[in-house]
Amino acid sequence: MESDELFINMGPVHPSTHGVARFKLRMDGESIKECTPVIGYLHRGTEKIGEMKTYLQFIPYTDRLDYIAAFPNNYAYVKAVEELAGIEVPLRAEYIRVLTMELNRIVNHIVSIGSLLMDLGAATMIMWGFRERENALQLFEMLCGARMTFNYIKPGGVREDIPDGFIPKLNEFIKDMEKRIVDYEQLINGNEIFHMRMKNIGVISGKDAVNYGWTGPTLRGSGVDYDLRKYEPYSIYPDLDFKVCVRKEGDSYARFIVRMDEMKESLHILRQVVDNMPATKLISMAEYGISPMTGTPTAVSTYFPRIFTPPAGEVYSRIEAPKGELGFYVVSDGTTKPYRVKIRSPSFCNLTAIPSLVKGLKIGDLIAAFGTIDVVLGDVDR
Amino acid sequence: MLFLAMWTGDIMFENTYELIVFILNFIGIYDPIYNVFEMFGLEYLLRIIIVLAEIAALFVFILLTVMFLTWMERKVVAMVQARYGPMVTGPRGLLQPVMDGVKLIGKEDIIPAKADRWVFTLAPFLIFIPALLVFIPLPFGESLIISDLNVGLLYIIAISAISPIAILMAGWASNNKYSLMGAIRAVAQDISYTIPLALAAISVVLLTGSLSTVDIVTAQSGTWFGFIPKWFIFLQPLGFILFLIASIAEMGRIPFDFQESESELVAGFFTEYSGMKFAMFFLAEYAHLFSVSAIVVTLFLGGWSVPFLSSIPATFAVLIPIISLAAFVIKTYVIIFFAMWLRDTVPRMRIDQLLNIGWKIMIPLALLNLLATAILLTAGVF
Amino acid sequence: MNSAEELKNLLPGSVISTGLQLNKPMAVVKKEDLVKAAGKAKEIGFDHLSVITGIDYRDHFEVIYNFFSYSKKQNLAIKVNLDHDKPEVDSLTSLWKGADWLERETFDLVGIKFIGHPNLIRILLPDGWNGHPLRKDYDMNTEQFVTIGDNGDDVVSPDGTNLLRRK
Repeated sequence: MESDELFINMGPVHPSTHGVARFKLRMDGESIKECTPVIGYLHRGTEKIGEMKTYLQFIPYTDRLDYIAAFPNNYAYVKAVEELAGIEVPLRAEYIRVLTMELNRIVNHIVSIGSLLMDLGAATMIMWGFRERENALQLFEMLCGARMTFNYIKPGGVREDIPDGFIPKLNEFIKDMEKRIVDYEQLINGNEIFHMRMKNIGVISGKDAVNYGWTGPTLRGSGVDYDLRKYEPYSIYPDLDFKVCVRKEGDSYARFIVRMDEMKESLHILRQVVDNMPATKLISMAEYGISPMTGTPTAVSTYFPRIFTPPAGEVYSRIEAPKGELGFYVVSDGTTKPYRVKIRSPSFCNLTAIPSLVKGLKIGDLIAAFGTIDVVLGDVDR
Repeated sequence: MLFLAMWTGDIMFENTYELIVFILNFIGIYDPIYNVFEMFGLEYLLRIIIVLAEIAALFVFILLTVMFLTWMERKVVAMVQARYGPMVTGPRGLLQPVMDGVKLIGKEDIIPAKADRWVFTLAPFLIFIPALLVFIPLPFGESLIISDLNVGLLYIIAISAISPIAILMAGWASNNKYSLMGAIRAVAQDISYTIPLALAAISVVLLTGSLSTVDIVTAQSGTWFGFIPKWFIFLQPLGFILFLIASIAEMGRIPFDFQESESELVAGFFTEYSGMKFAMFFLAEYAHLFSVSAIVVTLFLGGWSVPFLSSIPATFAVLIPIISLAAFVIKTYVIIFFAMWLRDTVPRMRIDQLLNIGWKIMIPLALLNLLATAILLTAGVF
Repeated sequence: MNSAEELKNLLPGSVISTGLQLNKPMAVVKKEDLVKAAGKAKEIGFDHLSVITGIDYRDHFEVIYNFFSYSKKQNLAIKVNLDHDKPEVDSLTSLWKGADWLERETFDLVGIKFIGHPNLIRILLPDGWNGHPLRKDYDMNTEQFVTIGDNGDDVVSPDGTNLLRRK
């Protein structure tokens, strides 16, 4: 049965677009005939800013890309700069970086699952999740004074060593979180209505997912066993024991379960990081006793000169951010500022597939599919 | 002393009017007042005044209940979600509904430029009317009923059917696509769920042989084997479940809150409403919650009847309306709590799933239930 | 032999040179043969198009495609050089659906035209925006004012006449 076409403009301000995404929907009654995403409402020209700031000045701007999980943004950029300049990082700093990133992965997945459930009409999950997220944010605050935009990871290390009393609190968090994840599973996983809404909705095959450039949990939900932490290891990931969570189905439910499992794996990683972290403290800037304006980067300190010039060259460096593959393409021309910074954001690339994903589905499914892709509009628009 | 003589375990008064006349007589002021009115030949006026006073009392009761329910909903949600809920206004936030009212009255009353002004203005009032009128034939307790209609149940179902009209008016007049979709959803949902609702109710009518709510309640007084209360929930377990699900669908609450489904349709049919008109929809929703729960209680949970009420010592017979009222309110709140609890734990369904369940599962089951009831009744089992 | 050399062996006529992009193999490809080279890369297992980067080098443009092979766990970058006057290159949308938005973004911000792209319009910036911000000659000091027009489209004007308040 065909009826007159209805055009709906969903967004840019809409309760479930997680920011300012806009979908132009051509509807046949309740079914979506065509969905055209319109993005760019949050475009801040981050890449252009990157060309105008020095290497260190740009780090705070990376926080603003994926503001739900900002540590991996910091790290991805810093990793690119370090590769470009050939800077070595002390082992303890790498441990701290991985610690922050895995903690941030948990936070990201909590928010992702919570907001997905809220879009489906079950508001309890996000409240429960935010309770744990609050604990994690307090840990971040302890670490660097900020709760969401950290500016913590620097070339050559981190800004400061972890404060006293951080590790016991982290252990408490890990212990608490283990129980909470079981709670979440009891709340959501067995729910019949949740299964009705998620299973066989927004199905994408592994081949298509790769073709669309999907990465991260969304790709692993389609049965592609791929995780940069495992197969293109960076930092201390080769030394850590964790498994890649993969589901074969490729539907919304699979993507959700992958995130659930990844939280557990992240906890497992965190425990190893806490156990194996080298005891030697990092030397802080004051102890190092060098003017912050000049000097050479060094591998044993949290200190890094504000202005430095990596040799000319270009690098594409990518990491496994919570949402997928986050890459920075940095070109240096041998001056104090990058010649070009290109950001390959996972949200942007994952969002590409949404028109084909929701074709023929209902509005409610669009929201479920959009929720499981897990985008942050700051990351999409840059 | 008169109470003593009259109490036989049966209904004492047909309706509240007679109860009031009896009480006025008992304290000896009915005759003088009646004489005054008779002097001017206006006896009917006295009757009208008493009935109006009853209705006013009922409406005040309903409005207070509704205000309390908004508070209770917030508190229940907060309890489930590990929060406090309103705490600031009044003891444990009890005055929050008053503050909400003040806030909403203070808001600008916006009518969209392209809206149908008359229909737009009329809809919020129209939606409140059925929510209140439904209470007329509902027995709140022994003798506490405005009017015991002999077609009480039919009246209730008929009056409830007005609310989709009001919703459609609101959705249409707003001249907003989200509102219209919400309204269309609400109508589709109401139509498909009124049928199983009515069919489940008819099974109860078969058992009692009467549409009068008082008869239905009296048929449920007493016990089997001395300990199981003679509630229809035990004779009609399937009917009860069907009626409860259909009622929640009629109320438009999660998992069936398609008329608003805020993550899909912003706020559904009342997207464009603000200020007092929005408050009317808000209050009507809770009045509806209360009325539907009261109907469930009346039909399946014995209404105001308490199993061992007839064995109460005759000395305390004066307390019977109060005890029965308390029993009725407590039972109703159990159902309300269930609805609130449900809202916090399950996600929303999808509109096509809802209609599928309504037409393909609920209606056949309700028909089957009706058939089984009829057969068992004819066989003399009940 | 790294993946770039492998590609050169397969397509000796198309690949101009091979080298390293810091630590990842990179092949510089003739711009006419980009689709051929990318198709070949896809054939030999490079199924993931990670990113498309357009760089303005003032005298010429470079577009760099970073590929990854899920089966071989190897990287490959393909670079094409474009004239500054005529930054045009064939689109890869026929091979990778994911190239759609990446190319639109490169078109939007760097101003490189992808021939054969089905829907080459601006993606991040509003339609009607003047200039491509990531070009080195982009004028940063000119203000541009954006509002939403009657039919929901973006309206851009250099003097702000489209803003109600400035009328």
